[in-house]
Amino acid sequence: MAVSAVHLESDAFLVCMNHALSTEKEEVMGLCIGEVDTNRIVHIHSVIILRRSDKRKDRVEISPEQLSSAATESYRLAEMTGRPMRVVGWYHSHPHITVWPSHVDVRTQAMYQMMDQGFVGLIFSCFIEDKNTKTGRVLYTCFQSVQAQKGSEYERIEIPIHVIPHEAIGKVCLESAVELPRILCQEDIQFVFTKNLCSQMSAVSGPLLQWLENRLEQNKQNIIELQLEKERLTQELATM
Amino acid sequence: MTPRGASVYRWDVSIMAASISGYTFSSVCYHSANSNSDHEGFLLGEVRHEETVSISDTQISSSELLQVVEVHNHEPCAQLFSFYDYAGQVNEESLNRILKDRRKNVIGWYRFRRNTQQQMSFREQIIHKQLTQLLGVPDLVFLLFSFISTANNSTHALEYVLFRPNRRYNQRVTLSIPNLGNTSQQEYKVSSVPNTSLNYAKVIKEHGAEFFDKDGVMKDIRTIFQVYGALQDKVQSVCGEVEQSERVKEKVQEEVNKLKQQIVLRKRKTTDEERRLQEAQNPEPRLTPEENTEPPETSLLSRVAFHTPSTPERPGPSANPPAYADLLSLQNDSLLPFSSSPTSAALLPRPQAVGSPGHPSPSPLGLGLSAGPNPAAGQEDDEEDDDDDSSEYENLVSEVGQLPPVSASVLLQGRPAALSPDGDASVRGSQT
Repeated sequence: MAVSAVHLESDAFLVCMNHALSTEKEEVMGLCIGEVDTNRIVHIHSVIILRRSDKRKDRVEISPEQLSSAATESYRLAEMTGRPMRVVGWYHSHPHITVWPSHVDVRTQAMYQMMDQGFVGLIFSCFIEDKNTKTGRVLYTCFQSVQAQKGSEYERIEIPIHVIPHEAIGKVCLESAVELPRILCQEDIQFVFTKNLCSQMSAVSGPLLQWLENRLEQNKQNIIELQLEKERLTQELATM
Repeated sequence: MTPRGASVYRWDVSIMAASISGYTFSSVCYHSANSNSDHEGFLLGEVRHEETVSISDTQISSSELLQVVEVHNHEPCAQLFSFYDYAGQVNEESLNRILKDRRKNVIGWYRFRRNTQQQMSFREQIIHKQLTQLLGVPDLVFLLFSFISTANNSTHALEYVLFRPNRRYNQRVTLSIPNLGNTSQQEYKVSSVPNTSLNYAKVIKEHGAEFFDKDGVMKDIRTIFQVYGALQDKVQSVCGEVEQSERVKEKVQEEVNKLKQQIVLRKRKTTDEERRLQEAQNPEPRLTPEENTEPPETSLLSRVAFHTPSTPERPGPSANPPAYADLLSLQNDSLLPFSSSPTSAALLPRPQAVGSPGHPSPSPLGLGLSAGPNPAAGQEDDEEDDDDDSSEYENLVSEVGQLPPVSASVLLQGRPAALSPDGDASVRGSQT
């Protein structure tokens, strides 16, 4: 197998969740940026949110132009972080539907694998509720495609995926997170008018700003507490 | 919204609706993913009461009391047992220390657990009662997150239920996540109805000038666009501040971790010296060989892996990717690099006026909005009637931290999913 497991950094996971939960009326998608180590583990450090060129509800294919600009973006990220980063996979959301990839998804994944054996696919399923127990659900899965025999249909194979703790949110992830309103705005210009822009501002930009401010406040608080602890420990060390 | 005139009031069953923003929800998931034990915190927001009155011909008006709970933010607890003890006794001082002036905004609390049932544990119920009293919120809510995975870890599910335990009936409440898909109003028309009336065209043309500015852009659009631009600029700038604060936090956290390490090393050195001193005084051979072979509990726990061998350890402080340490030295005051101007006029849509004479306005979109083909046959709506059965997800081996400390060899063999009803073990040790 080309890939043994996927390690998704928790701040990249955060951006995927933000993106998946941003709309329930259509599937959203993006690309995963990272690197593959010698144990064939794919490390995803960040994601790029993509604009969907095809607005049909269930088609999530990436155009060659988007792939090319994503490659440019990952090159820029590599420069910024000093690590060899490249596009290692893609993710998309399944609002209201099962987390398993559709036949189209499996075929799309197979196509990407022709370009890169280690390419992985992630799917986030959300806005699911069991009316009986009033239980909401968010699921995520990782898969690749395999052809049982030459000429036969592609099937999915399951790839273990783990979310790796990452206490601080990386710069790259923050950039991607705030990219969403801009991408929506661009979509908006193409398709609809002012009204949707307003609802976007209140449904996306507003909550985004609120979360950023909350995070800033929390960080400030944590920094003060950490400074106090640092002083205490320094003193303790001095007396030893 | 009180009705006028003579009418008889009838308060029907109060219905509760609850919502949480996608960003707050994701943030809870993020904090939970970062903790290798259970995670808990408080929900901040507001509760509104909306009354809808319906009046019928019989003049008996019935009103429905709708209670709307909006979660705006969450306040995560750094570790478990931070405001209560093992007996579930809540300490008000600790509570105030955690919440400070946010205490008045608390509308509930939440708990994240792995591989457990969607029910409140006994201790959680006790804590909930006390919180209800202490915080003075009669309808305090409790949001329970439960995380399960397939045996091969390829698929994971996060289930969430919102409880209002202080009620007798209808304790579970649907939690909705407002998003673009359900908040925008009706679909916008993209093409106008063909209209060949000359008078109509004439009137539209005469009045059209009021709506367009000199560039041919609708004035409203330009204004809204400016608002959007200002908002986006604000998002950028706050994001820049957040990014800086993340870096500072990382740095101080690293320093704290280093200091802790130094202290541990220093302590170990002194105990080693003391032991050597004692041995020098008592030259007899020791009869208890196992004394020195057990590693200190803290370092054992820190070396233990997650559930399966392929899972990585929680990275230690020195295992931070060098990238961010490099970034710290490069830290500058500039905002995030992508400053493409979203507010450039070239991006403003220039639609033709709706109802332009003679022909339908070609939509600037150029794309039809036809519905796509249905998803492949394999996909259905995810309505599982047998929730508790969870046949899709086998219960995974539970996490390490939930068991009493055992020797490393037992751990590597894997453990059955033996969980205490609470989800958290009695021996957990504090999170650093």
